[in-house]
Amino acid sequence: MKIAVVLRQVPDVVEELVISDDGRSLSEDDVMYLTNEADDHALEEALVLKARAGAQVTAVSAGGDEAKEALATAVAKGADEAIHVAVPFEHRGDNARLASVLGPMMKSAGYDLILTGVWAADQMDAGLAGGLATQLSLPYVGGLVSMSLDPNGAHAVVRKEFPGGRLGVLEVSLPAVFGIQSAEQPPRYVPVSKVLAAKKALRVREQGEPPAVAAGVRASKLVKSGSEAKAEMLPGAVPQVAEAIVRILRERGIA
Amino acid sequence: MIPREVVVVAEHVGGLLTDVTLEILAGAYEMARSVGWRVTCLILAEDPKPFQALPLAADRVVVVTDPLLGSPNPAAYARVLPHVVKDLSARLVVLGNTSLGIDLAGALSHDLGAPVVSGCVGLRAEGDRIIATSRLCGGKLLAQVEPPGELGIVLVMPGTFHRELGMRDAVPPLDIRSSPVPLDNLPVRFVELQEPKMGDVDVTKASVLIAAGRGVQSKENLVLLEALAKELGGAVCATRPVVDQGWLPRTRQVGRSGMTVKPRLYLALGVSGAPEHTEGMKASGLIVAVNKDPDAPIFDVAHYGATADLLELVPVLTEKIREAKGTQ
Amino acid sequence: MVVSAESLLVSVEGQGTAGDATDEFLRRMLKLPMGDKLLSCIQCGMCSGSCPLGYAMDFTPRKMIAALRAGRVDDLYRSESIWLCVACFNCTYRCPVGVPITDRLIAGLREELLGRGVGVPPELQAAFERTSRYGNPFGESAKKRDAWTKDAGMEVPVLHEGDSAEVLWWVGCFGSYNKRNQKDTVALARILKALDVDFGILGSDERCSGDLRCTSQGEEGLFDVLYQHNAEELAKRKFKEVLVGDPHAYNAFNKEYRRLGTPLDVSHYTQFLAERAADIKRRSKKEITAKVAYHDSCCLGRRNGEYEAPRTLLETVPGVRLVEMPRNRENALCCGGGGGANWLDSYIWQRTRVPLAMQRVQEAAKTGAEILAISCPLEVPRFEDAIKTAGLEGRLQVREISHMLAEAMGLNGGARP
Repeated sequence: MKIAVVLRQVPDVVEELVISDDGRSLSEDDVMYLTNEADDHALEEALVLKARAGAQVTAVSAGGDEAKEALATAVAKGADEAIHVAVPFEHRGDNARLASVLGPMMKSAGYDLILTGVWAADQMDAGLAGGLATQLSLPYVGGLVSMSLDPNGAHAVVRKEFPGGRLGVLEVSLPAVFGIQSAEQPPRYVPVSKVLAAKKALRVREQGEPPAVAAGVRASKLVKSGSEAKAEMLPGAVPQVAEAIVRILRERGIA
Repeated sequence: MIPREVVVVAEHVGGLLTDVTLEILAGAYEMARSVGWRVTCLILAEDPKPFQALPLAADRVVVVTDPLLGSPNPAAYARVLPHVVKDLSARLVVLGNTSLGIDLAGALSHDLGAPVVSGCVGLRAEGDRIIATSRLCGGKLLAQVEPPGELGIVLVMPGTFHRELGMRDAVPPLDIRSSPVPLDNLPVRFVELQEPKMGDVDVTKASVLIAAGRGVQSKENLVLLEALAKELGGAVCATRPVVDQGWLPRTRQVGRSGMTVKPRLYLALGVSGAPEHTEGMKASGLIVAVNKDPDAPIFDVAHYGATADLLELVPVLTEKIREAKGTQ
Repeated sequence: MVVSAESLLVSVEGQGTAGDATDEFLRRMLKLPMGDKLLSCIQCGMCSGSCPLGYAMDFTPRKMIAALRAGRVDDLYRSESIWLCVACFNCTYRCPVGVPITDRLIAGLREELLGRGVGVPPELQAAFERTSRYGNPFGESAKKRDAWTKDAGMEVPVLHEGDSAEVLWWVGCFGSYNKRNQKDTVALARILKALDVDFGILGSDERCSGDLRCTSQGEEGLFDVLYQHNAEELAKRKFKEVLVGDPHAYNAFNKEYRRLGTPLDVSHYTQFLAERAADIKRRSKKEITAKVAYHDSCCLGRRNGEYEAPRTLLETVPGVRLVEMPRNRENALCCGGGGGANWLDSYIWQRTRVPLAMQRVQEAAKTGAEILAISCPLEVPRFEDAIKTAGLEGRLQVREISHMLAEAMGLNGGARP
C-alpha cells in the first residue's frame, strides 16, 4: 500500500503578520512558516495506517526552504520518502495551482491513498484535496477523523464530521484522496536529535517546474482583522477585571 | 436584460433545512436584491415533500430528486450539481463553508470551470462584479476577493448572516425535477449518520457557558472552570483542541464541527477565536473573552475582553460572584 | 562492592533477549561523562529516601538501578515513575558513591522514550516543540523576547553584534516573557543601573539556555541546537562576565557550556550583587519590616553550592529579620518545577498526594515568616498559586530578592507598579 501525504507550509500567526506595500499580500521578509496543522494530522494518520497495515509513506511538501525542514521532520517521524515542490512566495496558498502541479506527478506514482489536511490556514480558494482528487479522477471525502482500510485494499470506511457532533460513516472505493480533519491520535513527538539526523541523511526528490496554469483566486486587498477589534477591553489587574465582569453580569441579570 | 441568477445550494438533515442554509439564503437574497439579481434555492433530496411549502427568501425553489440524494453524500452531490447549475445558468453559486460544502468545492470548480472563494464572511455585488471577503490565518487576516469570469462560487462561513432573514412572508414557486444524471456506480456510499452520544451535558441548552480553550493549559485546570460554571448555573464547553486532547468529551465541543450555541453568557477563556470556533458561538447574548494575546481574534466577536491571566482570574471571579450572590 | 561495567554487561548478555534493551541502555550511558558511575551503586537506598516524590514511585531510583542490574530496563520504560522526577538533585547530592541519578539515569530513560514517541506527556511535548521553534517554552515570538524593556522605565542597553560591555546580563525565558516575573526583571535592571554597572542584554538574539536537558528531560538534541545558537551569539559580543537571572541558566552555563567549550565567567545575580552588598546596604533607605524565610533553589543550592549570597543580600534590607525553615540549604524542599515538571503539574498531581509547592509554603508559614524570598523565577508562579490553594493569602507573600532590594533602594514604582 502506498500513501502520499501533502504538507503545506502556512504563515505562523504567533509572529506579527505584516501586509506588504502592495496592500494585497503578506510581506515576505516578515513571514515565518510552519506546517499546516491539519496536514500534520494527515501525516500522523498516514503513520498510524503504516503501523497498522504496513504501508509506504511518501511525504510531499510545498514551499521554500522551510518546506524541506518539514520533510526532515516527516522522515524522522517515519515517512519513507520525501518529495519537495518548490513554490515561489507569490503563489503560496494557491491550492488550485498546487493541485495542477501535484496531479501529473501523482498520477504516475500510483498511490492508493493521498492524504492532506481538509483545510489550510491560509487558503481562500477551493482547497487542495478536492482539486487534486478531480485532477486524478479519484473520489474525495473530507473532514475525516478516522478511517479503516479493507484488508484487500479496495475500500476504506471513513468517519466524517458533521455539525452538531454528528459523524457520517461512508464507504469509499480506493484509490482515493482524503481531507483529514484530525488524526486518530495527536501528532507524535519527535526529538530534535532525530530530526537533525534525518536532515543530514535526507534525500529529497525535487519536483520540476510546474506547467503554466490558471491560478486560484487572488486577493485585491488584504488587511489585518485585528484592526476591527470591537471588544471593550477591561483594564487593570485580576481583581479589577473580576469586579468589572461581576458588575457587567449583574447589570444583565446573569449573576 | 435577463437578471443574473444566484444559486444557493441547500443542506438538510431529517427533512429540515440547516441553519446555515437559511443564513446563506439571507445573504444571497440581500445581495441579489441590491443589484436586481434573482435567487434560486437549490435542494437535492430523495423526497421533495418536506420542502414544498417553505416561505424561503428566494425567487424560486428547485428540488432535484433521486433516491441516492437522501443523505449528504459528497460524491452524489458532486455528480449532480454541475449539471443543474449549468441548467440554471448561474452567475454565482453559494454554498455554506461546511463539512459538505468544503467537500464539493474542488469538484465544482473543475467541472464548472469557475473559481472558488472560501471562508467568506462578507458578500456583496457591484454592477456585475462579485466581491467576497475571506477570513484567513486563524481569523487574523481579511482578504477582499473578486472571483473573475462568468461564474463564481463562494463558500460562506456559518454565522455570517442572520438565519431569520432566510425566510420571508411568501412561498416562492416550486420546481421539482429528477436528477439529470444517473447516480449509479458512485465511488462513495453513505452508510449512516451517527448521532452524538448525549450522555452528559447538552451545551446547546445551557444559558451560561464557560468555554475552555488551549489557554487553560491542562486538564487539571478545568476544575477551576467547573467551579465558576457552578456559581453561574452554567456548563463548561470547549474548543476543538481541548476536546482533541481528551480533556472533555466531544459533546462539549463548540464550533464548526461541534455544537452551535446561543447562551446568554459565553465566557471564552484562553480561546484564540479561530473562525472554526467563533462560528459556533458568535450569536451568544453576551460574550466576554479572556486571552493574554491582545490581538487574539476572539476580541473581534467579544463584547468585553481582558488580557489578564485566566488561571489567576477564574478563582477570583468565582469568589466575587459567590459574594455577590450572598448579598442578594 | 563495586561492579565493573564490563562484568555487568557480560552478566546481562548471558540472560538472552530480556537483557538486550538494558544492554543498549547501559552502553549508551557508558559513553557519557560519569555514565559508568551508574554501576557503582551500592543499593543503600539513600536516594529513594531523600526523593521528595519517592513515595509515589513504583520504581524509586534505587529500584531503577536494581532493575537495570536484572536486565529489565523495559519495566522502567513502561513505568510512569520516570516522569515524576522534578530534578531536585537530592538523590545525586546524597549518593555516597556519586551516581549521577538525575542527569544520567533519569535523563537517559526519558531520552529513550522521547525517541520512541511513546508515553511522553503531551504538555511536555508542547514545551519542547515551542522551545525548539520559538526559543522559549511559552511559544511566544522570539522577536518579542525583549519587549519587557519597554515597560522598564529606563533604557536597557541591548548589545548587538560587535558591541561590548563589562557585564552581559542573561535575562532568561521566564524573566523575559512571564508577566509574573517581568517586574522582578525590571527591578534587577534598575539595581544594575543604580550601581553603575556597565551591562547589556542580548535582546531577541537570546534563546532558552536549554536548562531543559540539564535538569534531565532527555532532549539532548534540543539542548545542542540551543547551545550552538547561544554560543554563536555570545561570541559576537565582547564582555568580561555573564550575569544570570535564572539559576537554571546559571547551571547550564556553569556546568554544560563550560564542558562543551564555551567557558564563561558566570555568576547568578545574587552572587554578583552580594559582592556589592556594602554599596547596596548604603543605598537602602526604605524599610521592609518583615520576617523573611529564604527558599534555597535547587539549581543555585544543591547543584552549585550557593547558599550564602542570597542571605547576605536579604540582610542588607532594613527591617528584614531572616528566619530559617527546617529544611534549608542543602536540605531544601524543591518547589516541584524542575526537570520539566513545571509543565507536568497535572500529570504529577494525579499521581502524588500533596504538591511540593504547597508543602513548602506551609513550611514557610509555620516559621511565622511573612515573606518567602526566592531567587529562581519558576518559584514565583508556583509558590503564589500554592499560597492560594493552601489558603495562606494575606499571611504569606512570595517575593524575588531583586524586587525586595529594589524596593529598599527606592527604585520600584514609576513607569511600572
